[in-house]
Amino acid sequence: METIRNYLETMFARLPITLEVQKAKNELWQMMEDKYTELIKDGKTENEAVGIVISEFGNLDELAEELGISNFVLQENQKQAGNLRYVTLAEAKEYLHDKAHTACTVALGVLLCIISCCGYLLDSSWSLRGGLYAMCFMFLSIAAAVALFMYSGFVMGKWKFLKKRGCSVDFATAEYVHNRRESFRVTHAMMITIGVILCILSVLPVVIVTSLFSGRIGMGPVLMFVLIGIGVFLFVAAGNVNAGFTTLLSLNKSDTMGGSFVPSQKQVNYKNNTVSQMMSVYWPTVTCIYLCWSFLSFDWHITWIVWVIAAVVQQLIRAIW
Amino acid sequence: MGSISSDIIRGYNDTMILYLLWEAPSYGYEISKKIKSLTDEKYVIKETTLYSAFTRLEKNGFVEAFSENAAINGKRRTYYRITEQGRQYYREKCAEWTLTKEVVEKFIKEDGGV
Repeated sequence: METIRNYLETMFARLPITLEVQKAKNELWQMMEDKYTELIKDGKTENEAVGIVISEFGNLDELAEELGISNFVLQENQKQAGNLRYVTLAEAKEYLHDKAHTACTVALGVLLCIISCCGYLLDSSWSLRGGLYAMCFMFLSIAAAVALFMYSGFVMGKWKFLKKRGCSVDFATAEYVHNRRESFRVTHAMMITIGVILCILSVLPVVIVTSLFSGRIGMGPVLMFVLIGIGVFLFVAAGNVNAGFTTLLSLNKSDTMGGSFVPSQKQVNYKNNTVSQMMSVYWPTVTCIYLCWSFLSFDWHITWIVWVIAAVVQQLIRAIW
Repeated sequence: MGSISSDIIRGYNDTMILYLLWEAPSYGYEISKKIKSLTDEKYVIKETTLYSAFTRLEKNGFVEAFSENAAINGKRRTYYRITEQGRQYYREKCAEWTLTKEVVEKFIKEDGGV
């Protein structure tokens, strides 16, 4: 039964979501289910029954006119002849494995970058030898981080085609990925939560050390950077693993039957093309403004307002265009 | 014996379905099963063919679709019922077939051209 369901879902995966298509799918499923049930009752094995049902299913091209999708089917057939590529279940598994693997290496690289300055913080006497050690530590950790980034880029390099070529996944694969993402949800939430807590707590060492040893900071800043580093490590790792699921699931276009797994809020489409291009650089621009203003004026206590205004403006633009 | 060319029989799928709906409403699988058994399994209608015939018949007002729970296992199914227009259309198709058969038969050798 599962095989038949998958077969039907795959056949319909690239059709647009319309009332007619939904109805046709339900109707066909009813007939296939009835036929399958009866074949099993007549003593056929499961494999035989599945074989018969699928061989007697027919061809969706036949329905094109009734469903009002003749143009669509024609286009799809031409595209298929071109460069559409199916990502198999095995490939999807391998991709997710690589993605999870590199999520850790990238996150570790980021962690190393963050703590690279710790050498200087440890040695507050600014002696020549201390400075030398601190510099060595900084360059070593940055070098290690760069090595980790390059390694990740190398591993993920072979998956570049997912973004460039028109790829799609079949129903069974989409469901597998979807389930994996669902089971990762709790872990993801935990990692983000712990990361946030660590970042918030990171100021504590400085505060405690300063108040205990009146004026001396000692290990405080180092601990702060380590805590922030671990927090960011968790963000980056969790985010990267999740991005893997989303990449695979969003391969199917969201307006087709197979694309229904992608969370809808991910798709923000501006009707106006110019606006959509401008919006692609919106957040980087906002970041730039924030940093310029903050560093030039050193009014950090107030500059954060940029983010609030930016969010409101973005909502406005979304509503208008 | 060769198999039936689907191009030829396509024009008569509607006739078969209307014939089977003549006495009582029915649903997809039951109709395909009856077509299979009535023709001694010489013609097996594909699911997509059947569905496209249903939508066409419905659009032309020859059948009406309605939803009902099946008597056997209570599963909800789409049933089709023949309309008066459908009966009229069926009669036309029967007359057309009689004529078609008569014409084509003139060109069919009794020994099959052996």
